[in-house]
Amino acid sequence: MPAVTATLALVIFAAGAVSGSLGALLGLGGGVFLVPFLNLVLGFPFTVAAAISLTTVIATSSSVSAGRAGQQLINMKLGMLLEVATAAGSFLGGITAQLIAQSILQKLFGFVAALVALIMLTRLRRRNVILDPSVDPGVLGGRFYERESGGMVAYRVKRLPVAIAASFVAGNVSSLLGIGGGIIKVPVLNAWCGVPLRAAAATSAFMIGVTATAGATIYYGRGQLEPALAAAAVLGVQFGSWGGMRFGAAASAKWLKVLMAGLLFILSAMMFMRGGR
Amino acid sequence: MNADRGNDAASPLERVIGFVLRAGVMLSSVCLTVGLVLALTSGEVGIAGILLHAGIIVLLATPVARVVVSIVQYTSQRDWAFAALTTIVLIELMASAAVALVFNKRL
Repeated sequence: MPAVTATLALVIFAAGAVSGSLGALLGLGGGVFLVPFLNLVLGFPFTVAAAISLTTVIATSSSVSAGRAGQQLINMKLGMLLEVATAAGSFLGGITAQLIAQSILQKLFGFVAALVALIMLTRLRRRNVILDPSVDPGVLGGRFYERESGGMVAYRVKRLPVAIAASFVAGNVSSLLGIGGGIIKVPVLNAWCGVPLRAAAATSAFMIGVTATAGATIYYGRGQLEPALAAAAVLGVQFGSWGGMRFGAAASAKWLKVLMAGLLFILSAMMFMRGGR
Repeated sequence: MNADRGNDAASPLERVIGFVLRAGVMLSSVCLTVGLVLALTSGEVGIAGILLHAGIIVLLATPVARVVVSIVQYTSQRDWAFAALTTIVLIELMASAAVALVFNKRL
């Protein structure tokens, strides 16, 4: 466990702020940037890095969802149904992470980071919305106000087993690697399950708090979570995501995504090289 | 009836969940900020350590509290399917806590 100094806390706060603002700009949690920084740059053991990152995921989920509650963008019923699968996946991942070698975790991270980059470059943008809000969306569907359409829109959830399977995998990857897992759920919900992108992202952000809690609790109980460093990271991420959301409107989403995809490919290669040793 | 499902049924739950999440984030942020500043400036570990652990525990407990209020809300609406699903989520979170306690050896 690394010793806590003011310098280290400041460095982690700054890293959290950068991850948080990148995450907010891209609609990700930011863990995908924070874990490699803590593991590769600061040399923390992978499990210690993942534990710190998971606490920032919980904080991000809670604060983002608190702000959105009441806007009907979060599909609570779908979220709570899929949480059964993500929490189970996360629980198993938290135990598995204790049993497998750091080099395997690093290779797995490298693989997932490359996948995230590919998804980002080829992001499917299906809208899935039904413009007539009086349509019955079913038990799991929803409706929300969509600015692009200028009114209430509805959607129905399709292929629920696919959504459940993706949620289980996302939960597993989340606690193994210390990321939120939204990067797996959001594209699946959007591309195959009929959920509009904004609703999928909001619902995923709502769910990752529960997902990350199942994993983080196991790391915390194991003594792999240093509270002072987690505090610095959590406060940094909250500061950064607040800034990222303000700046986000001005940035060009397309170039930002290309830039991030490039960065993720580099992170992926670094993790593979480190894991291969 | 169907047209109301999205709005009226979800609103009280969304409101109470929003409140729980906001309260949890504020309380844990205050504990973590004060704890971190105390730990770094005074080097005094006692109270700073307690505040930091309290902040982490409140952070971890916030999603759990959100699941608990959902169970209560769905039960009071007699929505048994969702009351059961959210109860399973709570059991899974309790299982992690149980495993964490079993694994509790400091490294």
